[in-house]
Amino acid sequence: MSKDMSRVKRTGGAFAATVALALSAVLTLGALAAQETGTALKPDDIKAEPFKDAKTIGRVAKGDRVEILARKSGWLQVNAGGKRGWVRMLSVRRGQAAGTDVGKEVGGIAGIATGRAGTGQVVSSTGVRGLSEEELKEAKFDEAELQRAEALAVAAADAKAFAAQGKLVARQLAFLPGPKTGARQ
Amino acid sequence: MKIGTLICILAGLMLATGAQAIDLEELRKALEGPKQQQPSDQKPAPEQPGGQAAPAEPAKDKPGLSDLLGAVRGVSPEEETVIGRQISGNLLGAAALVKDAKLQAYVNRVGRWVALQSGRPELKWTFGVIESADINAFAAPGGYVFVTRGLYARLQDEAQLAGVLAHEVGHVQQKHHLKLLQQQQLLSAGSSILAKKLKDKDSVQRLIGSGAEIFARGLDKSAEFEADRIGVVLATRAGYDPYGLPAVLQDIGAVSKDAGSVALLFKTHPHPDERLAQLSEAMGERFDRVKGARNLPERLYPLK
Repeated sequence: MSKDMSRVKRTGGAFAATVALALSAVLTLGALAAQETGTALKPDDIKAEPFKDAKTIGRVAKGDRVEILARKSGWLQVNAGGKRGWVRMLSVRRGQAAGTDVGKEVGGIAGIATGRAGTGQVVSSTGVRGLSEEELKEAKFDEAELQRAEALAVAAADAKAFAAQGKLVARQLAFLPGPKTGARQ
Repeated sequence: MKIGTLICILAGLMLATGAQAIDLEELRKALEGPKQQQPSDQKPAPEQPGGQAAPAEPAKDKPGLSDLLGAVRGVSPEEETVIGRQISGNLLGAAALVKDAKLQAYVNRVGRWVALQSGRPELKWTFGVIESADINAFAAPGGYVFVTRGLYARLQDEAQLAGVLAHEVGHVQQKHHLKLLQQQQLLSAGSSILAKKLKDKDSVQRLIGSGAEIFARGLDKSAEFEADRIGVVLATRAGYDPYGLPAVLQDIGAVSKDAGSVALLFKTHPHPDERLAQLSEAMGERFDRVKGARNLPERLYPLK
């Protein structure tokens, strides 16, 4: 956020003041948007803690509206009809209570308030173009850009060192069976 | 001329059912005896990674399908790269790399680490963030993976980036796009072998169609669901939160269906809600026991 603010200051004048005002408005909206909502896709337990064996403190029915407070791995902390607990993330569809585009806009802006992805908003306003079907069809081969991309490739050793820095430890895990062959496993 | 083209298309359509049948027959053979289906002269060994124990079971759900392509049709890794280069060079012609060397290096490190957990760790994997406000990501044969700036901007931690890249790595591992091209070849030219189409640059371009339109057509749904399942596993193998990819899908699912930024993504992929439902079924409670998985929000490189 501070980066954005300093950029604003550099532009100077009344425009900067207007932008600053807009930004503070955005922050307020962001705070409101912290109450993101979702809809239960299927009936599921509400757990006291984000794990399977935790105490069940309630239930959500399919279609129930929930208020999303946080996420921890595969669990969402929700407020469902006054009950506050954890529901499996994949049992909930994230979405807006308002059901309007304004609601969606607010959801996007919430990212700014958390300090992340202010970039997302900035990007869409700088006019970076999309990538339509037509543009893909008419795309012309760019050898120079491709070589620049290929020069970015990193060695396995580099990637492993980077993983170690982040304390990422490789683990063994089988691929998941598909829906039809699941029984064959 | 026009009539000629029409006849070609009609002939292609008539061949379509036959081509499907051939593929299914080969698939059945492969399922019955996948080991015997590996001709030693065509299939390079590294498909089954020797060094790592984890990735040694390439997608149980569709055994032999990717092998089949390489083995039966005789597409060498070199030929695969030729095709992937042409597709990627075209894509980059439409959307250049974001000019931020640190960002690109970061994405390559995360991507390569994830790809090391795949069934094809030996490929020369190339990752990149491209200049487009669209929310999308692309994979091309040979190990080329690109994420749009629009998608990157929505990510909240490194585990989510890893999940997105892992989905694309899954397409490459399973040779989904090669398989698509293969099928199209069967449709338009009967029994011609893909490799014969790779004589020169023009024939490669003819093979992949116009520009990078292969990305505008998309793969079939089952290939996307499969890449989702593989993506979750690869990210988890790499030590990340298994729910990075599902979180991104959930986020994209909340974007208005009418938004231009998701028009192509939603045209070429099942809706995120459907993908999440499939993932939910496949994942079940299997990932509950995963301990010590990382999200690394502080390490996600911020876009400028």
